[in-house]
Amino acid sequence: MIDLIHVTKRFGEETAVEDISLSVARGEFCVLVGTSGCGKSTTLRMINRLIEHSEGEIHIEGQQIRAFRGETLRRRMGYAIQSTGLFPHWTVERNIGLVPRLLKWPAERVRERVEELMTLLGLAVDEFAGKYPRQLSGGQAQRVGVARALAADPDILLMDEPFGALDPITRETLQEELRALQARLQKTIVFVTHDMDEALRLADRLVVMHQGRIRQQGHPLALLREPADDFVASLLGGEDRGLKEAALLPVSERMLPLGPRLVARERVVQHATLREALSIMLWRHAERLTVVDDEDIPIGELSLRRLVGARSHD
Amino acid sequence: MTRALTWRAGTQAGRRWLAPAVWLLLLLAACLGMAQLEGLFRLVEPDSRAVVYARADFLVLLGRHLLVVGVAGLLAILVGVGAAVAVTRPGGRDFLPLVAQLASIGQTFPPVAVLALAVPVLGFGTLPIIVALVLYGLLPIVRNTLAGIEGIDPGVREAARGMGMTGGQLLRQVELPLAAPVILAGIRTSVTINIATAAIGATVGASNLGDPIISGIVNGNTAYVLQGAVLIGLLALTVDSLFARLQSRPVR
Ligand SMILES: Nc1ncnc2c1ncn2[C@@H]1O[C@H](COP(=O)(O)OP(=O)(O)O)[C@@H](O)[C@H]1O
Ligand SMILES: [Mg+2]
Repeated sequence: MIDLIHVTKRFGEETAVEDISLSVARGEFCVLVGTSGCGKSTTLRMINRLIEHSEGEIHIEGQQIRAFRGETLRRRMGYAIQSTGLFPHWTVERNIGLVPRLLKWPAERVRERVEELMTLLGLAVDEFAGKYPRQLSGGQAQRVGVARALAADPDILLMDEPFGALDPITRETLQEELRALQARLQKTIVFVTHDMDEALRLADRLVVMHQGRIRQQGHPLALLREPADDFVASLLGGEDRGLKEAALLPVSERMLPLGPRLVARERVVQHATLREALSIMLWRHAERLTVVDDEDIPIGELSLRRLVGARSHD
Repeated sequence: MTRALTWRAGTQAGRRWLAPAVWLLLLLAACLGMAQLEGLFRLVEPDSRAVVYARADFLVLLGRHLLVVGVAGLLAILVGVGAAVAVTRPGGRDFLPLVAQLASIGQTFPPVAVLALAVPVLGFGTLPIIVALVLYGLLPIVRNTLAGIEGIDPGVREAARGMGMTGGQLLRQVELPLAAPVILAGIRTSVTINIATAAIGATVGASNLGDPIISGIVNGNTAYVLQGAVLIGLLALTVDSLFARLQSRPVR
């Protein structure tokens, strides 16, 4: 879907991005992560030609991006940024309808699409359609920003630290919603962040960048288990990597069917993460938990030994 | 309820037009009724033969004054906004300091000197004063247009480009509307200053509200000077309050 082949970007003497190759498959959630100034935004903005690459090739669905006019290319991709960039003199409705109107959709279709998106992103149409950006909270503004990026139903979504300015609770809510949205709409997403927890939570493909180069890429679990070098290991959380991995795995991954023993008193729901299960064990001083389904019916059990992945039969 | 609201909105709109209307009425009354105040001016100039300027009709002078200021204002807006927009485009960035500097020089150059230099080239009359006023009025317009456009949140510009707006769409739909209040403030300063400055045009034969003043100075007739000054003052207040009214429109 998106292919970067030996791409380099120089600003004068300085090399911002050096010889990176990256392929993002259709429907894949790709997260670029790294410390500030490592070239994440530059990489993202080369994909929609806000920045022209200096060397190498960038392809979208097999076609060189230089084959398109910049504007044409950008109208085909959603773009959301940390500061939202909502137009302060336009209402929410008009902001969301921007790209469809640039594409000359008929007014009625734009209106329908805007309402559809506002509903999708949990913005009550009656309440928000006529509001101006300065009347919105940070979280609401960012929802509008995401709705605007999705407006013309692009296959590709580029997001540059879209949740970076939000409080942790709002951020987590929006991360979960974005994941759900992605599972439903099957967009190809390239997402930039410097927050490793956010990256691990969202990514199908995690790309660790450092000083303009890609240090390692792959599934988050693969990187956590086998970081290529000390830098990647420490960026991924160093000694905390065990907990970060546990936060990616559901309890159902390690639970065993209910055994002959007494059912344990403390419970955990099956789609909780192993990290949450571990926390319950620590909190309750319990070495065994009963795993329950959504109706609170016991369906299995999880021991500390199983949780930590010891290959024993207990 | 709805009626009460529209009624209140109506009176509020009415009140906002009040100041310009009052100043305009005073201005017209002064133009038409100056002769009625002869007794008053006689007190100022007991020895002069005539105490009310009568070489031309005040309304005609007012019209010519407005014409000069209006033409100069339009030219200054065209050139000033145009130059400021040009140097904020990607291709024109290099010229930004130059244009900002040129506009400042335009204002430090005394209009009288511009007149003196322009007359040999353009002859006597209205043209030299228009040139002087355009030069003098450029700075506030250029400066404010630059400030208005540069002051826009860079995220807004990035989003606009990232969404696929062309340069022209960005300028017309985003930058100019957002910068409009600041640009308007610059135009207001420029025009108000030029209403006063235009009076010196009378020295090079551009007849306007400066005529009574210059004539009064030459003939030592303070009453004439007063008449010109009062009319120019009232005109400036009228125009300024009109701008104030325009600026107070709710801008998002
Ligand atoms: N327009 C630009 N002109 C010059 N240098 C730039 C420009 N944009 C980015 N850079 C430089 O490129 C490097 C990478 O920047 P960026 O991609 O924004 O990093 P990140 O998004 O990872 O924080 C930085 O050193 C930055 O100073
Ligand atoms: Mg960045």
